[in-house]
Parts: sequence; C-alpha cells; structure tokens
Amino acid sequence: MTTVAVTEAWAEAPLRQFVEDARVDLALLLHASGQVLGQAGFERRMDVMTACALAAGINATAAELGRMLDGKPFGALHYAGKSKQTFLALVDTRRGAFLLFCVFDERASLGIVQLYFGEFRHRLSAAAPDAEGPSTPLNEHFEGELNRNLAALFGRT
Amino acid sequence: MSIVNYATREITCKIVYYGAGRSGKTTNLQYIYAQVPPERKGNMVSLATQTDRTLFFDFLPLDLGNISGFTTRFQLYTVPGQVYYQTTRKLVLQGADGVVFVADSQARQLAENVESLQDLHLNLAEHGMDARHVPLVIQYNKRDLPPEMLTGVDELQEALNFRGVPDFQADALHGPGVFETLRGISELVLKKLSAHQAAK
Repeated sequence: MTTVAVTEAWAEAPLRQFVEDARVDLALLLHASGQVLGQAGFERRMDVMTACALAAGINATAAELGRMLDGKPFGALHYAGKSKQTFLALVDTRRGAFLLFCVFDERASLGIVQLYFGEFRHRLSAAAPDAEGPSTPLNEHFEGELNRNLAALFGRT
Repeated sequence: MSIVNYATREITCKIVYYGAGRSGKTTNLQYIYAQVPPERKGNMVSLATQTDRTLFFDFLPLDLGNISGFTTRFQLYTVPGQVYYQTTRKLVLQGADGVVFVADSQARQLAENVESLQDLHLNLAEHGMDARHVPLVIQYNKRDLPPEMLTGVDELQEALNFRGVPDFQADALHGPGVFETLRGISELVLKKLSAHQAAK
C-alpha cells in the first residue's frame, strides 16, 4: 500500500481513497502557491517540496495561457509519456483552491484517473473545514533556536 | 501562507527573493545551496534560459531543523527580474510569507531598483496582500564593487527603504551578507507566524 502523508488531517481520507481507486504511483495535493497539503508515494520530503513548486508553476503557467488563448484558465492538464503519464487539476473547496498532481503508468489510464478525480473532488470539498488550526506554534525562545539552527546550517558553529 | 502541521509538528514557509534583473537573487540561492549540507537541502531547481537568466523561478528547499518543537522548513524562491516577466513574478509571489528585496548597489541600477520595488508593491496588492504587513528585508548587494561604481547606502535607504525594514549589505557572489539576510527574513516570518497564531 502506498504511504499517504498530509499536513492537515481532513485531507487524508480523500487522498488515500483516490490513490487506491485510481492506482496512481505518486500523488500530490498542494495549495496553488506551491505549499504541500498531502502526498503519496514520495520518499524524500525535499522531493515533495520541489515537485510541489514545479506543479504549482505548471498550473500557474497553464492558467495564464488558458486566459490568453481561451478566455479562462485551463482546468486540467495531462501529459502522456512512454511509460509514465501525469495529470494535474484544480479543486475548489471552502478552504481554498488546491491542486492534485498525480503520476501513473499502464496500471491506470487517463479515463480512470479522470473518473476518480471527479469523486476525489467531491470528497475533498465535503471534507474541507472552514477554520484553520488552533494554538500558538512558537515559544518565546524561538529566535535563539532559529539563530543556532541557521548558524549550524551555514557551518558557523 | 505558512503551513503549520500540528499533527506532525511541522512548519513550512515560502520566502521569495525579489529584485531587478541581474541584482543577484539567483546568486543568493546558489551561495546558500553551496553552504548547506546535503541532508538539510533539496535539489536547487532553476528554470532558466539557455544563457542562465531566470525564466520562471529558482527554488531551493531548506530544512532549518527544530524550532520550538516544530520541524521548520523554508522554501526559497527567486523571481525573474527582467521587466517583461511581470506576470511570472506575480505568480511566484503568490502565497509568499516573506520577501527579500535584492537591490543592485551599482549607481547605474538605482532606477531599476526603484522600479522593481514599485512592481513588488503592485504585485502584492494584486494578491490582496498589504505591503506594510508582509515581512520584508532589503539586501544591498554587490557592495564588493569599487566605491566609485556604487550608490551610497544612505542614498539607497532613502530611495528604497522608506518603511525602515531591516537592511543588509552583501556580496552574494562571495557570501558576506547572504546568511545575515536569510536570518533577518527568517526571524520576521516566524515572528509574524507566531503573532498570527497567538491572535487566533
């Protein structure tokens, strides 16, 4: 079973269901700005962030191209390679717009992915809460920790 | 927009290096990339032209380690500086938690710096972001060049830093000021995140 990880719990079930139903190899759920909300199949966290940045870039570019050529953003994109295919589409929810990016091979097909993407969109919209999370994340000593960590990062300790 | 995951205690922030063409935005990221150990960074992605001018953006994910019990990661982006990439700059700026404005200290570039800062304010406004409330630091880059080629820091401050945000003199090619700039924007971003969360 593909490992699914999310940054907000409400997104986990819809993403997990989509990955299992559509049998995709990799999936990313992200904010349109490129911040990750959930992922399935990636091994390195840093790869996730890079893939999110690139997927958000593709979406932003396609949206602008769509506006230019068709008067409205392109809603979804599909790339068909020899062994791998990708699909990228937007989902609107009460929590904002999210992008789903997935990679699949011959075990799936564009039709299957589109079919389950439709169901995913409904599930995600239904699961999306209105409010953001609670509590204060950083204590009053965070600046000291930040300085120490940055110094270590730059080899200055 | 910072992402805070309370379940796994992770924070992810987006920082954009903004500025006129050839001011040294990509050079900042390249220096950071060269300094940081492999396990604390991802690959640096550069979507560039054949002549290595930034076409869309550069991207560098950094792992800052544990801060207040949260694994903290920063995503560093640059924008393309040339005037005709206005749309692209606006796209990359979307969701930014903080901005480093990289100014070229050369006297002949003063007008381009001012124009780029105005462009930043315009793009922030178009994203519905109040420029007065976005964490911002200014880096006066290329301070290693001969003094006769440079605009004085006081003059740069007057032209660009009317908000009185933290400013740093730098030589991004060789490193001085790059770390201090990153530390400056990191502090502002995390302070704002902390204040924002506390207000909830």
